[in-house]
Amino acid sequence: MKYAFFPGCVSQGAAPELYPAAVLICQRIGIELEEIPGWTCTGAGVMQEKNQFFADTLNARNFAKAEQMGLPILTICSTCQGVMSQANKRMTKDPEYLAEINSHLAEEGLEYKGTAQPRHLLWILIEDIGLDKVTELVTRPLAGIRMAPFYGCYIVRPTEALDIEEHPERQTSLETLIETLGATVVDFEGKTRCCGFPILTINEKNSMAMVGKHTSEAKDLGADAMVTPCPLCHLNLDGYQPKAAAQLKRKVDLPILHLPQAIGLAMGISPQELGLQKHIMSTQPLTVKLGARR
Amino acid sequence: MLEHDVLVIGAGLAGMRAAIAASANGANTAIISKVHPVRSHSNAAQGGINAALLDRGDDWEDHAYDTIKGSDFLGDQDAIEVMCSSAGRALIDMEHMGVTFNRDDEGRLGTRAFGGQRRARTFFVGDFTGQALLHVMFEQLIKSGVRSYEEWFVTSLIEEEGQVAGVMALEIRTGQLHAIRAKTIILCTGGCGRIFEPSTNALIVTGDGMALAYNAGAGLMDMEMVQYHPTTLAGSGVLLSEAARGEGAYLRDKNGNRFMERYAPNMMELASRDVVSRAEQTEINAGNGVNGCVFLDCTHLGEALIMEKLSQIREIGIDLAGVDMIKEPVPIRPGMHYIMGGIKTDIDGLTSIPGVYAAGECANVSVHGGNRLGANSLLDTIVFGERSGNHAADACRSINFVDFNEEEVVAKEERRIADLMERPDNGDRWGAIRQAMGESMVRNVAVFRDEQTIAEAIRDFSDLRERYNTVPVENKRRTFNTDLVFALELGYMLDVADTIAFSALERRESRGANARTDFPERDDENWLKHIVARKGEVGPELSYMPVTITKWQPEERKY
Amino acid sequence: MDVTINIRRYDPEAEQPGSYWESFEVSVPDNATVLDALIKIREEMDGTLTLRCSCRSAICGSCAMRINGHAGLACKTALALAVDENNSVTIEPAGVMKVIKDLAVDFELFWDKIRAVEPYLKPAGAEPEGEYIASNESMLHLSGVTACIMCGACVSDCTVLEVDPTFLGPAALAKAYRFTADPRDGNREGVSRERLRELSEATGMWDCTRCNECVQACPKGVAPMDRIMALREQAVQAGFTNNNGARHTSAFTESVGHSGRLDELRLPIKSVGGVTNIGAMISYAPIGWRALTHGKMPPIRHKNVENVENVRRLFRKLEPELSGPQIGKNSPFG
Repeated sequence: MKYAFFPGCVSQGAAPELYPAAVLICQRIGIELEEIPGWTCTGAGVMQEKNQFFADTLNARNFAKAEQMGLPILTICSTCQGVMSQANKRMTKDPEYLAEINSHLAEEGLEYKGTAQPRHLLWILIEDIGLDKVTELVTRPLAGIRMAPFYGCYIVRPTEALDIEEHPERQTSLETLIETLGATVVDFEGKTRCCGFPILTINEKNSMAMVGKHTSEAKDLGADAMVTPCPLCHLNLDGYQPKAAAQLKRKVDLPILHLPQAIGLAMGISPQELGLQKHIMSTQPLTVKLGARR
Repeated sequence: MLEHDVLVIGAGLAGMRAAIAASANGANTAIISKVHPVRSHSNAAQGGINAALLDRGDDWEDHAYDTIKGSDFLGDQDAIEVMCSSAGRALIDMEHMGVTFNRDDEGRLGTRAFGGQRRARTFFVGDFTGQALLHVMFEQLIKSGVRSYEEWFVTSLIEEEGQVAGVMALEIRTGQLHAIRAKTIILCTGGCGRIFEPSTNALIVTGDGMALAYNAGAGLMDMEMVQYHPTTLAGSGVLLSEAARGEGAYLRDKNGNRFMERYAPNMMELASRDVVSRAEQTEINAGNGVNGCVFLDCTHLGEALIMEKLSQIREIGIDLAGVDMIKEPVPIRPGMHYIMGGIKTDIDGLTSIPGVYAAGECANVSVHGGNRLGANSLLDTIVFGERSGNHAADACRSINFVDFNEEEVVAKEERRIADLMERPDNGDRWGAIRQAMGESMVRNVAVFRDEQTIAEAIRDFSDLRERYNTVPVENKRRTFNTDLVFALELGYMLDVADTIAFSALERRESRGANARTDFPERDDENWLKHIVARKGEVGPELSYMPVTITKWQPEERKY
Repeated sequence: MDVTINIRRYDPEAEQPGSYWESFEVSVPDNATVLDALIKIREEMDGTLTLRCSCRSAICGSCAMRINGHAGLACKTALALAVDENNSVTIEPAGVMKVIKDLAVDFELFWDKIRAVEPYLKPAGAEPEGEYIASNESMLHLSGVTACIMCGACVSDCTVLEVDPTFLGPAALAKAYRFTADPRDGNREGVSRERLRELSEATGMWDCTRCNECVQACPKGVAPMDRIMALREQAVQAGFTNNNGARHTSAFTESVGHSGRLDELRLPIKSVGGVTNIGAMISYAPIGWRALTHGKMPPIRHKNVENVENVRRLFRKLEPELSGPQIGKNSPFG
């Protein structure tokens, strides 16, 4: 199956290990990715508070390009998923709004017709590929690994923008996938809460408190690792975990995996190829337990 | 001891308006309420607030006439003149306080049509006008700095040498009883709808103030005048605003006929509420309904109008009945909604007990008579809340606190409560007794009633009172003991229920909401008078009061 | 319909106070709400069960609680939609606020925050004789906010309040917006400006993480978070930009507007006020160093997207304020 790939800024910026890991597992699964040429940032919800119209216009531009490619959009970022879905809802339910946006896109010969349905790899695996196919490719089940899901706000809320009513299975998609990979789900309260990343530079103390709360809660429930479909969550939960632990005055040491890395591990891909060594929190205890060599 | 010049009981619109006025008038004022002010039932007023604005070419005397005709000529015309002539100022005051009234194309306050009125003079905020007003009034209460006792439940009035000296109150959170001394008390406790089952009223609407006043010797007037609202939702009995019909909705029977053309050919769906409810009940009784309901049809109003002006009731229909009024007619029926009767007061809110005032639904000034017009209740609360607050504050300047022994009265009330709590657990619980009372009331003192049915209700209440005397309080804790509060409320409701049934039995004519099938005509010669119920040795003792007529003589009522 | 209601209960007067779970098997009509079931339990099965409720029609705001882990009104939640495959539902008190007994929580924290925003209209000049003239659109917009029934569902589920009770929170900030957006409140030089200044400070509008919990929880469609975002826009327009939040938003927009994507390296630097804010920069040093040694530092030279001129054209047209003269001159994005 072929998709218009929307990788998102962070997968090539502050979390450079995500992009190749995603590409790698998609190849194995048989998902063909064609990157949307000249795609721009979705605005991540930040631009929206400054100028929603500008941000929506940029999203429409990405959607229009995907329409030209004739392919459904695949993203690997929870935040991008949510922001694109929200923008898409605003445009598709208000034809006048969409027309105004299109008037600005016309200058580069683009028009968004309103047909895009951006979806995260997580959903596509379940809805298009099928879990049977994923199971087939699992050569090194994550048996004995206790894995905590961490969704990222924008892939779970607001439910209206994400069509959760039509797709209730999306609400438990991450747990479903963890189980498919052979790991045990560590269910914990924080799994759909905020990682704190958006206020990192605004109220670092609160941001760290969130990282500390979620990682320590999962750790205390016996998690060997946490997995997230959101690279922004990953940035905070992994990159700032030492600082959060210091603020909490305790040890946490919880490896945080990007979703494609967890899938890749179960498919027998080496930790090195998946970029696990690039994480701030050592993933070694996990890979040792799994018996995965570099 | 806690001590205030003016103590307002109840923090709905009337109560907060009274407290703000009394405080502004220099009195040391406090407000006490069994729920937080914004939880009050004023919230539930949906459709709007009436006012005749001169600069719209309206005239308060026209509003007064519509109100008097709506009351079936039982309203006191001096009080109605006060209300209608004050309405414009009261409305503009609320707008200045920040109410987000819907506007017309020129940015002025917009209006909608409402039942029983010959022109559109109902000002509104979507279909949640009461909530909008209540929250703004709460903002003003915060601004005023008035002391607010929230989640305190008044268990009795303190009487000393025949004078009301203060109140006893249960701090619900801690279970502690407090005596509060006050020079004047303003009862703003709202109606008594939970005496009926079903009712549109919130669970807190239990007639507390009416019972407190009644037990202290005040008269409850026109208690037989109970309004059944024409559009309450099948099943839960929750209100769907008259605003729907004000915006053009139709009432239809099971065959789709607009049956109102046979009952009110001119005003149709916008006849006064008693008329429309009787029409619906007649159709339902004749087999022209479905499952005891007729239909409110909004489908022709269009999604845009419904979303702008009726969005809350649309949600209610979806949430509670699974019906989207944009797409299909909603099954509705008449349901108990409001009581025109209440504690008899003068036009300043003063009751027959010195120092005790009343305003809002618990009071009867009387501006609603036999039938209240939609959107006159919010107006009533604000106008007479303010007047009673002002008057009570004035009165405080010349009266003194009445002394009482705090320890003694607190101990006495503690003993009473302890007796209740220590009862054996084998009696019927309050829930079952209330349910039986409510069902009897709706069955027997209904849209249509007669001597037999009313007598049956009276017998039921007598039995229920006996069962109430052994009602247990299952929860023995002090903290937030709502089980105790509900048991006490039930006592209040049983007191008030009697006055409703006895007054209904007494009025041997059909006027306003008191439709007696055994006396189907209005009888001005014998019954153009108020019935007042006072507490007697055994049950209510009834007497009469004349109706005040200023310039509008009774005439035949047609819509 | 036969359902199992699992309730997290709490009795402060128990010998060993603490929360515990209790299950009730209840038979209710198919169209019953969660509240109907709770009332049935309270009236017929266990009189000690404590909860606040009143109107039964989502207007009084009394019965907010966590239903299956998320805040909502019990009276607005159809039981049939709330139960799981075993016909069971879990009920807990609202979060963030302290539990008094069972499902009744202490709202003092909630009201303190509401009071803190001076929640009443403060007109700048003399009142007119009649009503204020205002457009219907402006009033409808405000009514979308004043539709708030103060039920506390948003506060219950706020991710920030969970870790920091000093945050003003979604309900109070939405309430504040109801005034800053009211044409009758203050004026550009008057009270609303003062409101925005105060709300821009710590514990105010910039502390929101935009997690959408409040949008999801609100039973009245108020979307508190969207109001907080609108407050941010108002504050920036009013010139209250000397804070990390406002700088972050502008820097982000500038980065994307100029290059098409986010420049993650420079973003934190700009957010904390450029290199002049030495203290803040030092606090970012550990992560920067760790990132560098793990090979995940963002690219130092931020690349532009293909056909970036099209993005810049939109930026200039749609965001003239930020795309103004600084582009290509002093901007680190030049």
